Amino acid sequence: MSVSFRESLARISVSLLAGALPAAGARAQSYGYGEPLRNDNFGPGFNYSQIDAALLVYQEGGGRVMAIEPTLDLSVHAADGRALTLSAAADAVSGATPNGAVPSDKPQNFVTPLKAAGSSTTVTSASGGSTVIQLPPTPGQAATAALGRQYTVAANTLPVDKGFHDHRAALGGGWTQPVGGITDMGFTLGYSRETDYQAITTSGHVDQTFNAGNTNVSLALNGEFDSSFPFGGIPAPLTPMNAQFKTPTSRNKTQAGFVLGLTEVMTRRWLLSLNYAFDNQSGYQSDPYRIISLVDPLNGEPVQSLYEGRPTKRTSQSIYWDNKIDWGPAVTDLSARYYTDSWGVRSSTVELDQRINLTPSIYIEPSVRWYDQKAASFFRYFLVQGQPMPAYASSDMRLGSFHALTYGAKFGLSLSKRSEIYLKAEYYHQGGAAHPAVAFGQLRQQDLFAGTNAAIAFIGYSWDFH
Amino acid sequence: MDRDYHIGFSAMATPCEVRLETDDEGLAHRVAEAAEAEARRIEAKFSRYRSTSVVSQINRDGHCGLVVDEETANLLDCAAAFHLLSDGLFDVTSGVLRRVWKFDGSARVPDQEQVAAILPLVGWRKVKWDKPKLILPAGMELDFGGLAKEYAVDCVLSVVGRLAEAPALVNFGGDLAVTGPRHDGSPWTVAIESVDEPRRMAGLLELTAGALATSGDARRYLFKNGVRYCHILDPRTGWPVRDPPRSVTVAAATCIEAGLTATLAMLKGSEAEEFLKREEIKSWCIR
Repeated sequence: MSVSFRESLARISVSLLAGALPAAGARAQSYGYGEPLRNDNFGPGFNYSQIDAALLVYQEGGGRVMAIEPTLDLSVHAADGRALTLSAAADAVSGATPNGAVPSDKPQNFVTPLKAAGSSTTVTSASGGSTVIQLPPTPGQAATAALGRQYTVAANTLPVDKGFHDHRAALGGGWTQPVGGITDMGFTLGYSRETDYQAITTSGHVDQTFNAGNTNVSLALNGEFDSSFPFGGIPAPLTPMNAQFKTPTSRNKTQAGFVLGLTEVMTRRWLLSLNYAFDNQSGYQSDPYRIISLVDPLNGEPVQSLYEGRPTKRTSQSIYWDNKIDWGPAVTDLSARYYTDSWGVRSSTVELDQRINLTPSIYIEPSVRWYDQKAASFFRYFLVQGQPMPAYASSDMRLGSFHALTYGAKFGLSLSKRSEIYLKAEYYHQGGAAHPAVAFGQLRQQDLFAGTNAAIAFIGYSWDFH
Repeated sequence: MDRDYHIGFSAMATPCEVRLETDDEGLAHRVAEAAEAEARRIEAKFSRYRSTSVVSQINRDGHCGLVVDEETANLLDCAAAFHLLSDGLFDVTSGVLRRVWKFDGSARVPDQEQVAAILPLVGWRKVKWDKPKLILPAGMELDFGGLAKEYAVDCVLSVVGRLAEAPALVNFGGDLAVTGPRHDGSPWTVAIESVDEPRRMAGLLELTAGALATSGDARRYLFKNGVRYCHILDPRTGWPVRDPPRSVTVAAATCIEAGLTATLAMLKGSEAEEFLKREEIKSWCIR
């Protein structure tokens, strides 16, 4: 024979293994990458379930917001890649939150609706240091008195509403599975409800792995339908703050967007991800409880409080780049994100996370995140009386210019081959212009930055079973 | 400081071993899970002892015509190509001969009529294989026993190699492959079991690259009237091959090549050594 037996056999072997080995390597990749500390037969190719129970405690400095949120997540995985996830969360939030007004060198009064118009009931004591008042009817209008809640803020302090508390419950679920030649397809549904807000969320995704498991491309579509039904009704934008019950009583917002993702195994030790997200929101997006101060043009004293108003359309885009690098006993996660939207908000985030395995069952993970944001075009610290009113205005610091630093550490301990307990503590510090250039009169002496500092603690327990 | 991790588990009715040179215990655990999972996956898919395996499905429903998946198709292509290359000696349809040949160490050798009755059900050329469609005539069966273990060794080695940059050796009951030499450049040492005295070493091999496979009758045979009938059956006649070596070990680049060559050498019977020498195959025969 012209070709030797060995050569012919080598060709047969190459044909067989050329098809088989990349697939085997891909399976290895799914076993091997980013795996948790626990070493038992849980992971791709096995049937297993996982429960994760966690409790988050959030406390802002200066007696401001405190939140407690317990969460429970359950996921059930089949060996062939099908998976079901269920999650539940509840939270209780309370404390004082800035109402949007500027501080003044004199005490200020703020009034909000208290009881349904037309009801005649006895006055009950209001919480949070505020008083129930009977407001005189507006001259020239029918004598329908309104019962309002009035609270007073001391001079030279950031006005906060202390009576803020809310409960929220959320449920979610999802299903994902390989379909035909497609690596993974799935959808999620979620529902969240609090006293004055409801959100229904849904998403669908398609994922494809190729190039022998080295490349994964994904497309996710997401949508949300929110309803805001604030206590006291929806105020008209840039109208004076008052105790009247307003109409409409509720307004909605819809959101639709997509995320394109690419994940690539760059080297055996380096996993890179790139995401592009596009989002469009349409509908009511103002904070119905938030006001902005109208100040005197000469001395900067707040004269009136106006309800804020935000545009009804918001389009945003962001790019996210993440790198996971495995050094063996340590894994580094370095990511950056750039965000921009049609409201003028631009932000950059850089995060560095370093996981260090101290022993096979204990790890620590210190992290630091740096964030910088440029304000929305309609962000204002205050409005000036006599000047033309803008179409939109908000003094919500979350739409303003600020920078923030979060630093913390997570600590994990494997209790057994199947379970892990973890603790995380973080400190969040916001910084921004206390004395912006636009300040004048008494505003110059005030700290106009309404940002926050917060401590966050997290404890969780994760458990795998068959 | 590298440690030599020995991972052991049982799969395909064979003691399986993976050796890994690393200082990362976590990695050794991950490799162990992945290697075992891959071996079990191949076993579950190609074992004729599992009613849910692809092979069992083919043997049950093959007469109606089946479309097989990519991996099974590749194995069938390999079986078909090697059938041609071996001039019909290697034949994955020869498994039905076990219905008349039971190699239990006894003297119950079948007679001519029994063998002649079953021979029509043997012969790869009777199978219609037109990738990916397979039609298996009624009564015929496929048996990947001569391929699956060596294929599994190559696949598991690939899985291990993907997970760990460490030197590794995968050994499934004597069919083995290595990623390369050990960290210090030295070869892996493997003992060849003596055929007459199990657990005694007949020789020591040193391997720095590639794979080894051993074909042998050390354990299964019939003995009648002073003649040993080995369990290697010639699919063209239905009778055991004449005077094969007791054991053939072949070294090649991949375990599948080594295994197929060792099987073919055994099938050549008395001409085993001549075949191996002529084709310049690195091998060791024990008679």
